[in-house]
Amino acid sequence: MKNIFILLLTLGMLTQCSKKNVEVIQDKAPEMMDQVDQSWRSAIPTPGPARSIQIGDYQSFDLDNGLKVIVVENDKIPRVSYSLRLLNNPIIEGDQAGYVSMAGQLMRTGTESKSKAEIDAAVDFIGANLTTSSGGVFASGLKKHQGKLLDLMTDVLYNASFPQEEFDKAKNQALSGLATTKTDPNAIAGNIASVVRYGKDHPYGEVQTEKSTQNITIENCKEYYNNFFRPNNAYLVIVGDITMAEAKKNAMDYFGKWEKGMVDNPTYATPEAPSERKVIFGNKDGAVQSVINVTYPVNLKPGSADVLPVRVMNSVLGGGVFLGRLMQNLREDKAYTYGARSSIGSDDLVASFTASASVRNEVTDSSVTEFIYEMERMVNEPISQEDLQLAKNSIAGSFARSLESPQTIANFALNTYRYNLPENYFSSYLERLDAITVEDVQATAKKYIRPDNAYVVVVGSKDDVSEKLIPFDGDKTIDFYGAFGERIEISNDVMPDNLTAEDVINDYIEAIGGRATWEGVKTMKQVREMSLMGQTATLTMSQKAPNMFALVVGMQGMTVQEQRFDGVKGMAGQMGNNQVITEGPQLDAMKSQADIFPHLNYSSTKTLELKGIEDINGKKAYKVMVTDAAGKTSTEYYDIQNSYLIRSVGSQDGPGGQTVTITTDMTDYKEVSGVMLPHSLTIEGMMPQAVNMKLKSAEINGNIDDAEFKVE
Amino acid sequence: MIRICKILLLALMAGGASAQMNAIEFEEYDLDNGLHVILHQDNSTPIVMVSVMYHVGSKNENPDKTGFAHFFEHLLFEGSENIGRGEYSDYVEKAGGTLNANTSNDRTYYFEILPSNQLELGLWLESERMLHAKVDNKGIETQREVVKEERRLRVDNQPYGTILQETMVRAFRQHPYQWPVIGSMEHLDAAVESDYVNFYKTFYVPENAVVSVAGDINKEQAKILIDKYFSSIPRGTTPIYRPTIVEPPLGGEIRDTIYDNIQLPAVVMAYRMPAQGTEDFYALSMLSQLLSQGQSSRLYKAMVDEQRKALFVGNFPLPLEDPGITIAFGIANMGIDVKGLEDGISMEMEKTKTELMSDEEFQKLRNQIENNFVSRNSRVAGIAESLANYHMYFGDANLINTELDRYLAVTKEDIMRVANKYFSVDNRVVLHYLPKPAQP
Repeated sequence: MKNIFILLLTLGMLTQCSKKNVEVIQDKAPEMMDQVDQSWRSAIPTPGPARSIQIGDYQSFDLDNGLKVIVVENDKIPRVSYSLRLLNNPIIEGDQAGYVSMAGQLMRTGTESKSKAEIDAAVDFIGANLTTSSGGVFASGLKKHQGKLLDLMTDVLYNASFPQEEFDKAKNQALSGLATTKTDPNAIAGNIASVVRYGKDHPYGEVQTEKSTQNITIENCKEYYNNFFRPNNAYLVIVGDITMAEAKKNAMDYFGKWEKGMVDNPTYATPEAPSERKVIFGNKDGAVQSVINVTYPVNLKPGSADVLPVRVMNSVLGGGVFLGRLMQNLREDKAYTYGARSSIGSDDLVASFTASASVRNEVTDSSVTEFIYEMERMVNEPISQEDLQLAKNSIAGSFARSLESPQTIANFALNTYRYNLPENYFSSYLERLDAITVEDVQATAKKYIRPDNAYVVVVGSKDDVSEKLIPFDGDKTIDFYGAFGERIEISNDVMPDNLTAEDVINDYIEAIGGRATWEGVKTMKQVREMSLMGQTATLTMSQKAPNMFALVVGMQGMTVQEQRFDGVKGMAGQMGNNQVITEGPQLDAMKSQADIFPHLNYSSTKTLELKGIEDINGKKAYKVMVTDAAGKTSTEYYDIQNSYLIRSVGSQDGPGGQTVTITTDMTDYKEVSGVMLPHSLTIEGMMPQAVNMKLKSAEINGNIDDAEFKVE
Repeated sequence: MIRICKILLLALMAGGASAQMNAIEFEEYDLDNGLHVILHQDNSTPIVMVSVMYHVGSKNENPDKTGFAHFFEHLLFEGSENIGRGEYSDYVEKAGGTLNANTSNDRTYYFEILPSNQLELGLWLESERMLHAKVDNKGIETQREVVKEERRLRVDNQPYGTILQETMVRAFRQHPYQWPVIGSMEHLDAAVESDYVNFYKTFYVPENAVVSVAGDINKEQAKILIDKYFSSIPRGTTPIYRPTIVEPPLGGEIRDTIYDNIQLPAVVMAYRMPAQGTEDFYALSMLSQLLSQGQSSRLYKAMVDEQRKALFVGNFPLPLEDPGITIAFGIANMGIDVKGLEDGISMEMEKTKTELMSDEEFQKLRNQIENNFVSRNSRVAGIAESLANYHMYFGDANLINTELDRYLAVTKEDIMRVANKYFSVDNRVVLHYLPKPAQP
């Protein structure tokens, strides 16, 4: 949220000049006033001799309790930072996935002697920063306040109290975040990719879910904190305006008495790439774009001789530079996407290769073809000398820029220790980069680029996209996964012969009261309640045949939103600001809402298609595609057992031209005046998180005055 | 020809500042054509920042031709007599550097960060832009589309993206701050090639620019190169338009509701305030810190932590060359109505008018200011931009070392005084941002 605002307030319109037009230049001399001969300017300046890069020095020492300390002196500005970083491998969190990160977050929200408000006040008073995470504690501020800063840092490190109130708050935040994740196709793709790449037995393959979050207890958090925040499991990195003597004294004074502990450092089997290509699909009904990740695990450890040639190779394929081949091919040449990239990192446990893009539905399979083509080209053809040089310049340039920050030097030092790298690993970086040849890059590509052993993870509209992806799969079967990486079995149920979509709709009408009963319903008033962040909102919806409708949303006795449709025109208002609506998609939506039971007329107003049987929340359901006269489609799911409508998925045009997909689940059908109504609705996609609406009362054929629908 | 105006400002210039801030040393001079040059040498990392700041922003535009200043920021990447279309970024990427540009209401800024042995490349690219950039219909057509796409991305499709625009248009009736930097797409469409050429010839002239170079340079060699590339660029011949419009007081509260493509309601409370650099501006800046810097700040603590009414809240003065506004902005938590949020923010703002803050809280503000100041000069790119800003707006680049004193001269009584003077109902624009009515 914060970054949204920073963006808003950036008065300047920061503009990346990423527009490229490689065309013949049509020269037209601007009518300048100058008489001076400027022809010499056509010569492109040649670079001077490159200056050798000096990497700053660092020093290190150990405390008796096992804490390793790294010091980088830099007195350019009178600040100093203390970064404590844990060394252990990630742990398996199991049914309580998410507790480790919550433990880190909570450390700063209370100690035995201070509340969160007191910690905030003390940190702000000295103009400092203090952050905690599952991987450590970071503190920075002016040198002259470092004593106070270290008091605060070590207070949260030694005396974190994990207050219940802050724990509840953190849990709620995490749940809100997950609710958003569920509808975000990139987040879904990320979850599925992690699960298939690493498997459930590897910590990188664990995904935090709503259920696992509910399972987290304060005790889980405390246990992690007590077990892993130990000096023999940590580095302290001190950077800034400080001498070695001062650093030693501060390390001793503040961290010398920190007690050692037994720390398990779990190890794991290294996940392998699949033996043949696998297509993995995450369904998002109604999606207009597909997120594609071509990905697999890679065994590439920090410090390996392959790291640098791999970086060059990836830079050519789809790295940071705009000129990467994936970008050139999928964006510049084919216009399938706004951006296509690849990445490959190094990691002590297991790393990964991922090539990704978001593309339009209809070019999803073509895009996968291009990804595979570019990966194969990387393996089969040597790159040009020019491509090599561009990649090297770009890497060297960003390496040089990074050296401006003393934190970079500290990271070099930390990595040198942590991964037992040769002492000159970073100081020889540019030399080694320069020595890389076209042959090295190709050899690296042969080893690390594996288009035939990749997972092709696609999140998008199953109906529109999935079948076309079958040819990419090694055994020609696609596996389906849910938003949090859970495997979904696609039902193989065979549909009864001769069953039509119309039959399904008619069975539904009969099951919830029958055609005759529903035709006799002339008015209906439903009151539903929903809970939003601890507050209750009441929705009152009134409908009157043939075509009137009113909706009032109230909160704490006040009307916060109102909509009316009088059969011809509509009105929408919020807090007393009313807009009359006489045309457009909003009016159409109101019109359809005014129909008490549209299913009665489906056979004459819609085109229906029975698509198969799917599993919805553990129930087998018929899937019916409904297309209206304007060509707009929605999907409805009817329980095979009792014929009830249990899910409807439709898309809605948002005001900004974006399309949002809204999924409504209907459960808890109960009888009201002879008809069955769902007493619980769960709606996803309208708000950042799913909302549940419970039916409080319903009245059929009561008297509703036309005035309730009046538009003015 | 180099005429040296001020020579080497030494460390003693920083006297008075309470942090032992290491002074930023720099050298500045004018070329005969009026181009101002600022050099900062720091050889610790082999990179160099080459930048040019032009004293033209959206406020210099004709009210019928808004968006020109920002449009030029795009157009001037199209190429020059010696640089092919779209090749600016090719040259820089191939040299291992990065480049960018940005535009505000008051100025336009272009820069490259390059390996230091490519200093000359950067100077060549920038001098080409100043001397004879390609300003023709082909480039204009291309960039119109890009700017429209940018508008969709940053304003129209960005939740809350219209806040500045909607606020400024109500807060100013006469001054050019009333229109957005990105301007009107109709104006850009309607303008013809000669309009663009005139704008270029008027504002993109050496006497309206500052070249600021910072990083791994040898100053003597840098001066020779700057002279080579910039000294033969002629002065302009058209007078430079600088608005002298003084906006009268708002004269009464303006209140409005905006329906936007958002999920959560938001409130904007914008108060008119004096220009940057004035005494009251510094006091108002500290007032905004009191309200919103850090988790212990008044608004964050009350609205986010304790009452949980807001997902985000803050107060931000816009540093502008002419009198501008300070904006309080809050996004409501789910289920909180916008009036409740406004009342909560108002209550905290009222307290700053009636209760003098404690010495401890005041000291916190001073400590934060000091930390902000000390921290911001950690990169040569930031130093080059600050030096250019201070020269362009205040004619005193050395404010990079001394501006802190202006903040430290503010008393807590000053802060209460400016709260009373500016946080008044008839001096503000209040906007409620509400989700477009959800469709049934």
